[in-house]
Amino acid sequence: MVAIPFEVSRSAGPGQKPRFDKFTVNVSEETPILTALLQIRSELDPSLGLRYSCRQAICGSCAMRVNGKSRLVCSTPVGPEFRAHGKVVIEPMANQPVVKDLITDMTPFWDRYRRVHPHLILDPAHPLPKDKESSMTPEQFDQFKETPRCIACGACYSACPALGSDDEFLGPMALAKMYRFVVDPRDSAYRQRLATIQNQSLWLCLRCNMCVEACPKDVRPAERIVDLKRLAIQELGAPEQGSRHAEKFMTNIEDGGVLNEMKLARETLGIFGTLKQIPKGIQMMRHGRSLKKHPPIQGVQEVKVIYSELNKPEDLMHRPRPAGKGVKGGGQ
Amino acid sequence: MSYSHDVLVVGAGLAGQRAALEAFRAGANVGVISKLHPLRSHSVAAQGGINAALGPGDSPEGHIYDTVKGSDYLADQDAAKILCTEAGPCVIEMEHFGTIFNRAPDGSLDRRAFGGASKSRTIYSADRTGLALLQALYEELGRERAITVYEEWDALELVMKDGRVHGLVGLHRKTSKIEGFSAKAVVIATGPAGRIYGKTTNSHSSTGDGNAIAYRAGAYLKDMEFVQFHPTALPHTSILITEGARGEGGMLKNSKGERFMERYAPNFKDLASRDVVSRAIVTEVREGRGFPDGTVHLELMHLGREKIESKLQEIVEITRKFIGIDPVTQGIPVFPAQHYMMGGVHTDPKGATNLPGLYAAGEAACVSVHGANRLGANSLLDTLVFGKISGAEAAAWAKKTSSATVTQGEVDAVTTRIHTMWERKEGETVVKLRNEMQNAMDEKVGVYRRPDELLAALAKISELKDRYRNVYVSDKSTTFNLNLIEAIELGNMLDQAEVLVAGAVARTESRGAHVRMDFPNRDDAQWLKHTMALPSKEGPVLTYLPVTITDYQPKARSY
Repeated sequence: MVAIPFEVSRSAGPGQKPRFDKFTVNVSEETPILTALLQIRSELDPSLGLRYSCRQAICGSCAMRVNGKSRLVCSTPVGPEFRAHGKVVIEPMANQPVVKDLITDMTPFWDRYRRVHPHLILDPAHPLPKDKESSMTPEQFDQFKETPRCIACGACYSACPALGSDDEFLGPMALAKMYRFVVDPRDSAYRQRLATIQNQSLWLCLRCNMCVEACPKDVRPAERIVDLKRLAIQELGAPEQGSRHAEKFMTNIEDGGVLNEMKLARETLGIFGTLKQIPKGIQMMRHGRSLKKHPPIQGVQEVKVIYSELNKPEDLMHRPRPAGKGVKGGGQ
Repeated sequence: MSYSHDVLVVGAGLAGQRAALEAFRAGANVGVISKLHPLRSHSVAAQGGINAALGPGDSPEGHIYDTVKGSDYLADQDAAKILCTEAGPCVIEMEHFGTIFNRAPDGSLDRRAFGGASKSRTIYSADRTGLALLQALYEELGRERAITVYEEWDALELVMKDGRVHGLVGLHRKTSKIEGFSAKAVVIATGPAGRIYGKTTNSHSSTGDGNAIAYRAGAYLKDMEFVQFHPTALPHTSILITEGARGEGGMLKNSKGERFMERYAPNFKDLASRDVVSRAIVTEVREGRGFPDGTVHLELMHLGREKIESKLQEIVEITRKFIGIDPVTQGIPVFPAQHYMMGGVHTDPKGATNLPGLYAAGEAACVSVHGANRLGANSLLDTLVFGKISGAEAAAWAKKTSSATVTQGEVDAVTTRIHTMWERKEGETVVKLRNEMQNAMDEKVGVYRRPDELLAALAKISELKDRYRNVYVSDKSTTFNLNLIEAIELGNMLDQAEVLVAGAVARTESRGAHVRMDFPNRDDAQWLKHTMALPSKEGPVLTYLPVTITDYQPKARSY
């Protein structure tokens, strides 16, 4: 048993400024944080508000921030947090309004989830077999990767720094859910689904991997977003800025082994678009940022070797469509 | 403010959502009220799979027989027939809704072995089949925009008038406001009251609120003494380790390294029915062949890393994260814990209770398809098959019923009762009373039951019910007042615990999961009947109902 100091964010209701209440809990180091919080409720303060239910990392109720990191508290032990920080600071999830204490209003999270049409879209011309299951090979089953493990806890949503910047951004959970339907061989809206996100949401991900780190079920949303980007460009080309940026970024580096920013802007935005960025460019230079073209790096030949490998047919960008997503039937 | 629907479903797990979908399809105006977000429902915790006789050489008849035998002949065979014949269409429908089931190399649904089953007929999604089904059903329901889901509302009491249901009174957690919901038909789908036990695999939310309000309104609770103890739960936390682990080839070993199930069930061994395996484990430990921490070990090591990490992914995560044991290289310590309530609100095979307009489905209900002992992977099936039927029946009832009203006076009466408790200035805490209840149930109403202990438990529950009248809610805030909610849940659990123990005291035989040390044998002459409980001022009044036997006459049961 160790005496663990807890600091728990308390808030009486929406719009109220939170305060931190201090509690000391005597538990063993392997005790889940949820158990410690319930001990606080039982022994010290029954008014502490939090959501919880299954206590085995499957219902997704108890995501909150632990020493700043988004975690599912039922499967996060007290010990490592205490040893790393000397205390355990508990706050509600970020990116959502607080209802009370550690309880948030998850409406923004669920709204984004609904925006990806999270259900099978079937093609009336290709109905599922009657009175029989759809056929799905183990290979097609594997395409879901870890996305069926998502428990919609919101930890990734809370951890995502890009969500504050643009309401259009669907965020990690909704995009991982989108991926789950994009690769489903039963779903017939492959192109349409990719088209709805290619335009905007896909390119707002910062690739910071905070969602991967936060996810208690190893769904790895950021990696699924990368998969979606690849599938979108492969299926639909690069008709808009985000995809064009990604494509040009790649060829841009091939030339000299280092990014030529002026060229990237020109190729992504066009000449007129680049001119509109001049005020921003001046601002950047004022803050000491050089926009000069770098000379090719030493060993640029090695970069070219990497690119020649990348351009082989088996590489990421040239993989076939997911199984079951042919040109005819389910893929169209 | 008040709300009005043709059909109001209480609970949004698999049974509740399936009932809502079916009632909606039948043209009813449907509302769903749940104390949790639907995806947080306890259905999500089901691991191993869902039974359907879809494999070559299998048949619904084989499934019916296994179910009836597993029930120790207390299942109603007409109901078991519905369960097993609807199983195939039910699983295929869920597949078409988008459920991601594991697949065999030929692209068909893969199947695994499960306890008490003569064939491999458990369809599964790794070891998170409940999650897979709940997601798919929620997503299917999401298309039906006209269904209103009242999330984080607690159902407090049913409103009964002119001998039929008129709706209920609920409490909104976000505001603590108490309001009326009028409905011509109400479907109870609130799951079990596993939390009357301390050592339970069930979620904290499993307090059986729907059963309690139905019972107080005059619905029969049936066969509540039949409590399933799952053989393999982790010590201390009682977190479930799926029967699918044994279905995939896992073996139970005692501290001498013996595969002891060979002695208790020579044919089915580790995959005997759950009541048999749980008794074997308790016996091994009591006779000194357990490990020092009072467990036996579930060994998976011989299955190999790849199989363990792909088919039992959640179990691997649970054991590594929660007890620091890697099942690829170590045995998992396990001991039985409360897992499932075979009993519940009495319904006929159409989901109808004895109260006109009131229906029930899933673990909250007792049709009875599970009798004295449920087979693994029959519970997910039960939720979906009888959820669908009860939803259709509720819609049909609503169609022929003129109107339903909940008056402000009826809401006020419930509000007064709740506020009287809430405004009390002193008394005993919820935690104290709940701990005493759970300890009594754990110690005295377990796998093996002694008459003196049962009587002591009954006296204890009765005493706790008295003390509950003086329960103290210290939190006076109106936003998410969990202290108040827990007090309400405790009252609900005490009502059910009393019925459970009273039924166990009265049933002087051993059948399925109910084992009396003083009456070790099944007694078909006296006890081939269902226990039916109604409330009275003096406690539960027990009567009995015959079991429906069609094709399978009771005989000795061995595995």
